[in-house]
Amino acid sequence: MADARRPHPLVDATEPNLLDETFPYDLPPLIRFEGPVVEMIDGRPVEFDLASVKQRPIYITDTTFRDGQQARPPYTLDQMVRIYDLLGRISGPQGVIRQTEFFLYTANDREALDRCRALGHRYPECTGWIRAVKGDFRLVREVGLRETGMLTSSSDYHIFHKLKFKSRRECLDSYCEVVDAALAAGVRPRCHLEDVTRADIDGFVLPFVDRLMEMSRQVPDDLSVKIRLCDTMGFGLSYPGAPLPRSIPKLIYKLNRECGVPSDRLEWHGHNDFHKVHTNAATAWLYGCDFVNTTVFGFGERTGNPPLEGAVFEYIALKGDRAGIDTAAITELARYMESIGLPIPDNYPFVGRAFNTTRAGIHAGGLRQDERIYNIFDTEKLLGCPPRVAITDKSGTDGVALWVNEFFGLKGDQRISKIKVAKLARWVIDQYEKQGRLTTISNAELEAKTRELLPEYWAMYKAGRP
Amino acid sequence: MATVEQRIKAVTARVLNVDADAIRPEHYFTVDLGAESVQSVELVAGFEVEFGIEMDEEGALSVETVGGAVEYITRICKEQGVEVEE
Repeated sequence: MADARRPHPLVDATEPNLLDETFPYDLPPLIRFEGPVVEMIDGRPVEFDLASVKQRPIYITDTTFRDGQQARPPYTLDQMVRIYDLLGRISGPQGVIRQTEFFLYTANDREALDRCRALGHRYPECTGWIRAVKGDFRLVREVGLRETGMLTSSSDYHIFHKLKFKSRRECLDSYCEVVDAALAAGVRPRCHLEDVTRADIDGFVLPFVDRLMEMSRQVPDDLSVKIRLCDTMGFGLSYPGAPLPRSIPKLIYKLNRECGVPSDRLEWHGHNDFHKVHTNAATAWLYGCDFVNTTVFGFGERTGNPPLEGAVFEYIALKGDRAGIDTAAITELARYMESIGLPIPDNYPFVGRAFNTTRAGIHAGGLRQDERIYNIFDTEKLLGCPPRVAITDKSGTDGVALWVNEFFGLKGDQRISKIKVAKLARWVIDQYEKQGRLTTISNAELEAKTRELLPEYWAMYKAGRP
Repeated sequence: MATVEQRIKAVTARVLNVDADAIRPEHYFTVDLGAESVQSVELVAGFEVEFGIEMDEEGALSVETVGGAVEYITRICKEQGVEVEE
């Protein structure tokens, strides 16, 4: 490797350069690209223009009611309607959350679908999910859906060991029969290439997709087959240079450019078994797949799916625009999911109770001076959650002052200095140093002590208010 | 009436639990007198109460020595019209 060392003289400045073009604060940090990316595919360099994602129509799809429900006891009808309603609000008028899929097998499944559709939201559009069984299309037709997903497992693990086909040919013919049945029923099939990151791409996946594209050419555009790439075990890799079948860039290239599946008929469905789920989904977007399939807060089979709210913020960061998305509804959805028994860890990004809570006094000191120093973006504006401080022995007087000002709702020049909260800070320190306390001090305790130790401020800002 | 220096030493002795007679103007509140972070804020709060003044947080907390506090508080008292014995 050539010696790349060179001098780096200081660029002195008396005004800060806050890199506003990347960190606008009223939006999540923007994701920008410099020039094309080159990937070696079949020994040849192939260029990808990742920046084009800003102009390309990309979307989020949702499988909270299908994959999400496989990971937990079933939702009640009312719960599903409420979740769907909130998905509609998050999606916004441009339909960034474009579709959500429903089981169709029980009367409850179908009633949930009916009640969600009765809300009248244009987005997310309701689609179905069935086995690759010809008779199941009757269900899809009966409920009046235009599109359904169907399992078309693609790895030999599934073809031979799960589905017990005697050969790939037998498997491919069987899948195509079902696709034919869907097309004949006037239902658009979305073939879920289950376990594709562990499949023989050249030996089975591409020939199967070639055949699907051939079948699609015989039908109107709105019936043409969609392809969902299912990273069933989370084996997918985003790294340049990784080989098939695990390489997401190469998988998408092969289907998109070699088989001719248009980007708007490609969807990525991931799992989080190796902590790669969100980045893998975003990688799929970047390399030419228009749809990424998600669940609210990532709840799904085993380790879960790409989190919908992560995809929402990735979308805004890539587009540089909120696109009508109601991001505050994400917080409302999180609190609702907690209320119906779905645990969200405190440190979970964007919606965990402590996602923008600092415990360190030195961070609290920074927050008091300028919240941008330790807050990822304007979380109050985008999520209805201003940065917070949790009080422990590490919080210091800065942390206590931040808590008090937030509690009284004081901003700017109104804010109380840390000199005025010295008594409260002393009480906090003594809790740990003299009382031997080992737990965080609750808001209720702090509220009571604020009333006792800062009575003049309590009278000024709290008395007579709820 | 006690001087500014004597009053500062009395507050310092109470907050930091040290002997007032042992406090010298050149003493640093942290290194020499052992003030921890929260005690520095308690000292400033104590001085505000003792002298009946309001101090700027950043300015007050940047004072490092007893002698520096005498100068700083004397100036603030004058600015705020508080009579003190120098």
